[in-house]
Amino acid sequence: MTDLAVQFAGVTKKYPHFALTDIDLELSTGGIMGFVGANGAGKSTTIRILMGLVHQDCGTVDVLGHAMPMQQAVAKRDVGFVSEDMRLYGPLTLAWHMNFVRSIYPGWDQRYAEDLLRRFDLKVEQKIKGLSHGQRVKAALLLALARRPRLLVLDEPTTGLDPVARREVLSELMAVLADEERTIFFSSQNTLDVEQISDQITFIDRGRIIESANKESFLDRWRRMRLMLPPNAVLPRLPGIVEVGGSARLPVLTVSRFEPAMVAACQDAGVAVQAVDAMTLEEIFIVNVQNRREREVA
Amino acid sequence: MYLQIMEQIREKVAVGEWAPGEEIPSIRMMAVAIRVSVITVKRAYLELEREGVIVTQQGKGSFVATDPGLAPRLFDREFNEHIEQAVRIGTLLGLSSQEMALRLRDTASQISENQVRDEDLAKETL
Amino acid sequence: MNTFIVTRLILKDWYLNRPLFVAALFTGLLTLGAVSAAKGTQIAVILGVIVLATILIGMGAVIMSSMVNERRQQTLPFVMSLPVSYLEYTTSKLAGSLLIFFVLWLALLSGMIATILVTPWFPHGLIPFIVIMAVEILVTTSLIAAVSVTTESQGWTIGVTQVGGLALNAVGFSIARMPSIGHTMSGPTIQWSSASIFILLAEFMLIALMIGIAFYVQSRKRDFV
Repeated sequence: MTDLAVQFAGVTKKYPHFALTDIDLELSTGGIMGFVGANGAGKSTTIRILMGLVHQDCGTVDVLGHAMPMQQAVAKRDVGFVSEDMRLYGPLTLAWHMNFVRSIYPGWDQRYAEDLLRRFDLKVEQKIKGLSHGQRVKAALLLALARRPRLLVLDEPTTGLDPVARREVLSELMAVLADEERTIFFSSQNTLDVEQISDQITFIDRGRIIESANKESFLDRWRRMRLMLPPNAVLPRLPGIVEVGGSARLPVLTVSRFEPAMVAACQDAGVAVQAVDAMTLEEIFIVNVQNRREREVA
Repeated sequence: MYLQIMEQIREKVAVGEWAPGEEIPSIRMMAVAIRVSVITVKRAYLELEREGVIVTQQGKGSFVATDPGLAPRLFDREFNEHIEQAVRIGTLLGLSSQEMALRLRDTASQISENQVRDEDLAKETL
Repeated sequence: MNTFIVTRLILKDWYLNRPLFVAALFTGLLTLGAVSAAKGTQIAVILGVIVLATILIGMGAVIMSSMVNERRQQTLPFVMSLPVSYLEYTTSKLAGSLLIFFVLWLALLSGMIATILVTPWFPHGLIPFIVIMAVEILVTTSLIAAVSVTTESQGWTIGVTQVGGLALNAVGFSIARMPSIGHTMSGPTIQWSSASIFILLAEFMLIALMIGIAFYVQSRKRDFV
């Protein structure tokens, strides 16, 4: 189905000290997916498999309707890829790179490229080796954005950027989405960015997908309930309690499947509900990962 | 986050920046403009439609609802929310309802006195 | 095979390495000049040719490593983000480096043959030997290219280069000792014996084999970056 820009089904890849297991992912055209995970969780490996740069051991990967890695040359015509470990040619100028990319991609938009040059504050005549890290990232992004690809795959696009540069990059990414036919897949350790601009969120930890969901409904499900236990009351048994914190009299329950009925259930059990707080993506992420690790140890 | 968006749109309608029946930016355009995900904006628009603040027509776009009483209703709602907030704090402070009502009346007259004084000052300096 | 993208990649590599190619050509011509100026016994000539050959192989290795250092320079993700398959990438590396080496090689071979034909102190009978050695250089260089592209390791490339250089010496001396070739070397005419033709054919087949093996090994790789 070409309605899905990206589809992973049962993808597994084994390395001596690490394995990606059973990765299932779906990203519809026109959406933006934020891929979150700790260092070494498997984000980069997943993205490399996505781009056909690493061949999976089993499972299927489809990008814009093309099977990867077999049809990667065709798929990559419509994909813009920028990764954090990507380097351009040091002794050559940004102008050379722009001409090089333009000669390969018919979809290059020169006016847009010049516009980006201005907004990213880059000079064409500068050699790549003379650029700072942030400038290099912006240069690589420019080369990917200016050819207006149908799918943008970005591995940590805002890492290492100063706040101004980050904001510029986020603006450009959002501007890409003004076109409903264009899709973005990006990985990031910056949960704030992911929370702000993603439609879909996927969590990965230790080579497994923990969650992959619509951001709003995902954020809706997670709550921290601040309770007050009277002396003889017992904590009500609620489904999906991920963590119990706070003190014995003032427990704080972290729930992953919140329903308004839970508040009533608590009150019925004689437990006062002082507050029901929403959680930021960062808090959810930390709880999720910690919880999994503790369960593994136990 | 979608709550903030809803708040901002309600304010714009309340002060008349967006007139009844006027077209408002599409979900996508709004998302790009404020750098927030499309899905969040979609949620905000859906909730606002449920409240009757805006109307979305398939294929045509989103518009402010053509309801003449809309603006005052929105302000009314905001007023109520603030009162509720004040009452909750007052209760925590241990104030009775009469004390709270008294404070409300005092504050109201204080503000209107200040307003008159400011207007006089403005007239003198002209 | 998308020849457009392969061409673009080759041109890119040539552009990046142009100072190196100029230096290689310059060094090659210098060495050629030195060897040509040395008159002397047949042994001296053979030694001279082998020196030239070894230097040529060294140049080939240097060219190979510089073309294949995308992984070291971390520019491989950028190249592989382009609409190119790994097979096409391999083709661009092999073809690009072998082509440029071929130009250098051809220039020096022609120069050597011209020197032999023009100067009085080199017997024309040397030419079949020179040609066989020259193609032997191509064989060694193809091997270096194949190893360089498949292992992407400087260590392996250097190792193979040294082995190749030694092998060349051995081959050179043993071919010179072969009666059908050795006896005609000091003669005034160019004589191609069946042995020399056979050797040449074998060399070309070896070149094809090396390149074929390189492509095969590359196609079996599962992790490209």
